[in-house]
Amino acid sequence: MSQLKYAFYTGCSAKGVAPELYKSTYLVAEKLGMELIELEAATCCGAGAVQEKDEFLSLTINARNLALAEELGLDLLTICNTCTVMLRETKFKLDNDPELKEQVNEVLAEAGLEYKGTSEVTHFLWEVIDGVGLDKIKEMVVRPLKDFNIAPFYGCHIIRPVYLIGYEDPDNPKSIEMLIEALGGNPKDHEARLACCGFHSFWSAEDEVTLRLTAMDTESAKEEKADFMVTPCPLCHTQLDAMQEEAEEKIGANIDMPILHLPQMIGLALGMNPKELGLHKHVIPTDQIINKITASV
Amino acid sequence: MEFFNLKVFRYDPTKDEKPYYQTYRLPVEKGMTVLAALFKAKEEQDPSISFRYNCRAAICGSCSVRINGHATLACKEQVTKILEKYNTDTIVVEPIGNVKPLKDLIFDFDYLLEKFKKVKPWFIPKAPPPPDGTEYRQSPYDHHKIDFASDCILCASCVSECNALKANDEYLSPFVLAKAYRFAADSRDGARKERLEAVLDHFNLEWCVRCWQCTTNCPKEVQPYESIIRLRIIAAEEGYKTPGERHAEIFEEDIKERGMLNEMLLPMKQEGLLGALKRAPFGIKMFFKGKVNIADFFGGHKVKRHEEVEKIYEKAKEKGKQVQIRIPQILGVVYEDKRKTRKRANFLDKGGNE
Repeated sequence: MSQLKYAFYTGCSAKGVAPELYKSTYLVAEKLGMELIELEAATCCGAGAVQEKDEFLSLTINARNLALAEELGLDLLTICNTCTVMLRETKFKLDNDPELKEQVNEVLAEAGLEYKGTSEVTHFLWEVIDGVGLDKIKEMVVRPLKDFNIAPFYGCHIIRPVYLIGYEDPDNPKSIEMLIEALGGNPKDHEARLACCGFHSFWSAEDEVTLRLTAMDTESAKEEKADFMVTPCPLCHTQLDAMQEEAEEKIGANIDMPILHLPQMIGLALGMNPKELGLHKHVIPTDQIINKITASV
Repeated sequence: MEFFNLKVFRYDPTKDEKPYYQTYRLPVEKGMTVLAALFKAKEEQDPSISFRYNCRAAICGSCSVRINGHATLACKEQVTKILEKYNTDTIVVEPIGNVKPLKDLIFDFDYLLEKFKKVKPWFIPKAPPPPDGTEYRQSPYDHHKIDFASDCILCASCVSECNALKANDEYLSPFVLAKAYRFAADSRDGARKERLEAVLDHFNLEWCVRCWQCTTNCPKEVQPYESIIRLRIIAAEEGYKTPGERHAEIFEEDIKERGMLNEMLLPMKQEGLLGALKRAPFGIKMFFKGKVNIADFFGGHKVKRHEEVEKIYEKAKEKGKQVQIRIPQILGVVYEDKRKTRKRANFLDKGGNE
């Protein structure tokens, strides 16, 4: 089991508006035999914002984050799509440009650090599938999600762009569906499976773009009669869950689509307590899910 | 597989009330492109199918269509690869998305052209050409910055699944912003301000949701997303104060001051006290859901070893000015299943009336 050990990069959201993701990740990881060593010295990845103001700064800050994982000799594990793409972008640029890597390392040397390029950046979803393995997960399921129609919402940065992510086909991925099936649930294809939640243009185009996308995404899952949507990204979660009521107001219709974090869904199937997994912390009520799952045992 | 279904979007506004789909059964031939399949159906089964094409070699950009939900050039995609990619025996060909279909696979390009004109997509020289009769010159790095963005063939594949455009048709769209970047970033160009003002009208440039869909669709690896982000950097350098620029400033400050972003204070820093008041009901809702970290309202705590970050921040700010970061070349990077374990979802043909 010891090989499932990771340098855990929490990202800001799990420490901010999504504490239930932080907690459920630890609970589920422990159950699955994954050991998470939290990078308490890590900083924010810049989330694309710093990248569009000072690219060199964002590269050095993230090179430091990667160097922290390298110090431990472990791969860096994320639970946020945007953290994943930002860290992988830094790694891609530094690993493919020796001169840039040297310039970044000159800065890191100020703090006695060095970026070598020895740690991979991986996401919780990928490690559950490739590290733990779906066969093992199938064996561990005590409450199959057979009564649930589940709409996957990948979130952009876990599939695109292919030169930075490349884990699966960005036009036709299947990892979340595979996981849902392993947990005994019914994956529901829907129009917005690979769409964007709108989060990253919130402050500049809340009304013009963001809330419209949020409404389209959640409605698309509702059209397919999904019981809930599941996403591997806390930013998508905040957008689709916490902002759903604002999106409803915008279109003048009720949507009421519960959104679960990926580890919460796994935890439910593994028999964990919904409250411990933080299902009550969501803005869109999850009561129906909780009732259904507790009745199914 | 010996045969496959080519399911084609059909629409003739002069006689059809609404679009419908027609399926042609064709033999699977090795090396056959989707465009070749369209020709075969047209020549042997139904001469009435309309589609645009010209070079058949992914150069002219005429044959962009939506294949099983994703826009690309019909002449660039092979039938066998598409069938494998989507685990299916059916290839659905439709006009690209986010535009008006005119007839069958032909869409209204004029609508995009109107957007395109707004950024003046032509070279406007900064100064007259050198008096000695030589050409306008620029450094290799200045050229590198615009080289990748110059390869656009105006096929509009990037438009099709653009999330911002899907939400709002006032959005200029990826290739338009990419072209604005191509000229605004050109060291020889003299109309940078005009172009920036066109793309910053209602902060249009910042409507991009950073979904990377345009770069994923682009059959020429032009990376419109990269151009959009770089255009934002140029706007910030030129002193334009935008919500996105303010957002970036907050992120920088938080990394410098504490390491992690302070999500609790973000609304106030972003929109000021009045803005924060507008968000108060939302904050209260979040508080009762246990999503508010009270300590963060008083600054919160720093990440461990934060002194390293302070040193790095100062040094990076100083050194960054001299660093010439190269734009990655992604030519020919396609998804390849290295582990041979990744499955692909079965393509769900949503039907559509025949």
